[in-house]
Amino acid sequence: MHMYLHEGVLKNMKHLKSFNKKAKMLETAVSQGEVEEVVAMQSVVGCTSVNDPGWEVDPFGGLGSLCQPMESDLYGCADACWWPAQVPDTMSTHPNWSQDVAKADEDWRKIDAIFPESE
Amino acid sequence: MKFKRMINPVKHLGTVVTGVALLCTGLTAQAATDEYLLTVTRPNQLHVIDTKTDKLLRSCDVPGIFGNGGIAASPDGKTAYVMTNKWEDVYGFDISNCKIVFSMKQSTKGEQVKSMISMTVSADGKELYTVQNPVKLHKDHFETLQPRLAVYKTADGMNAKPVRTYPVDRRITKLGFIEKTGEVILGGADVKAIDPTNGKVRTLAKLQNWDRSPEGWVPPDAFAMHSLGEHIGEYIMPYFTIKWNGAPGDMEKAEFLWGMTKVDTKTGEVTSGEVLPFEFIVFNWVTDPNDPDVVYGSFNQLSKHNIKEGKTLAVHPMPHTYYNINMLEDGSKIYVGGTSSDISIHDPKTLEKIGSIQLTGDMSTSDLRIAKVQH
Repeated sequence: MHMYLHEGVLKNMKHLKSFNKKAKMLETAVSQGEVEEVVAMQSVVGCTSVNDPGWEVDPFGGLGSLCQPMESDLYGCADACWWPAQVPDTMSTHPNWSQDVAKADEDWRKIDAIFPESE
Repeated sequence: MKFKRMINPVKHLGTVVTGVALLCTGLTAQAATDEYLLTVTRPNQLHVIDTKTDKLLRSCDVPGIFGNGGIAASPDGKTAYVMTNKWEDVYGFDISNCKIVFSMKQSTKGEQVKSMISMTVSADGKELYTVQNPVKLHKDHFETLQPRLAVYKTADGMNAKPVRTYPVDRRITKLGFIEKTGEVILGGADVKAIDPTNGKVRTLAKLQNWDRSPEGWVPPDAFAMHSLGEHIGEYIMPYFTIKWNGAPGDMEKAEFLWGMTKVDTKTGEVTSGEVLPFEFIVFNWVTDPNDPDVVYGSFNQLSKHNIKEGKTLAVHPMPHTYYNINMLEDGSKIYVGGTSSDISIHDPKTLEKIGSIQLTGDMSTSDLRIAKVQH
């Protein structure tokens, strides 16, 4: 979830301490006068901006026209952000996610999940 | 818009003239051109395959992280430009020895630039074009900027910078180049062409913004990745549409149709229209060099169709999905690739499998291109 605050509000909240990376960056930016007054979520760089849940069924309501097997299609979808919810964002934030696995159909067990970095 | 057969008298005339010249000099027309199959696999290598033997000649290490593996060959076939590093950078390789002869990075500090497979080379090989999708990285938010065509001089070599840029539409993917007009083809919501000397854009074929009534038709859904048709000088963009023969939404009377927009990359002649019933998904199509009415498609099956008669001629089931398809100039072999780590080779007459090329990693979104080298 993202929250945007009016710059004036931020300046008057000196009794609060930022406790994560984003808040610290925002605090620094405010002191440098680099925060716009209101910032809408107008664009996102990474895969999460793509509203495509994946292909659960094909255009005919069946499974025959889905890519097969999933391992053949995994990189083709992950690399192009077609599966934003199912795999890490390899285009922007996790480019090395699958670099060690050249063949997904042979070494799919080595492709691991990712977890948030500790603050 | 009705699909018209594309006749290219220039090409036929050229064949005749060449043939006469060869007869007069007592030469035969054999082996004037070598064709090399190019693709990119993980972790990040450009592979050069001899299509005479279907053997892997060499594998060139590509700098950066894989993605997307797009390839544009120079007109003389000697240089392969590869899109790499998360759809951002381009390196040019001498395919005879893997030497890197060109490089450019599109992102700069504070501005992230991605090209969604958009890359092509001018007919004289002097300029390389990409469509850049820039995003300004502010400290607390991102700002989407106007996409642009970027022009690079290939002679600038390493760390080349764009010499010109022009604003273009959003959602542009594959590019082509029209030899006669010197324009770059922009495949996107519609098919357009831009003059890379002044940025002037014209529409070649309306798709998303076509003039048909929504009461009668669903606006086309075009899929503009991968195959181009460089084996015969063609830019091919397939699309899917629905014709409502009854009320909109009445599936009982609806026709599901494949359409195609084709651009002759020598003359710029454009044909566009519906060609086949939509019976199954096809990711990419190529035209038979010996019969412009025959096309082949790849996906979960390799298929052969006659677009003049609107008929599916043959279907060959495949062991897994293949995104990509290409052919030799003489039409003797079909190559099917993309997705996994094997290229499947097929006889165009029967679609039977006649060979396979095993690679060291998955092709994923990379291209499967033919580079023609004259001798």
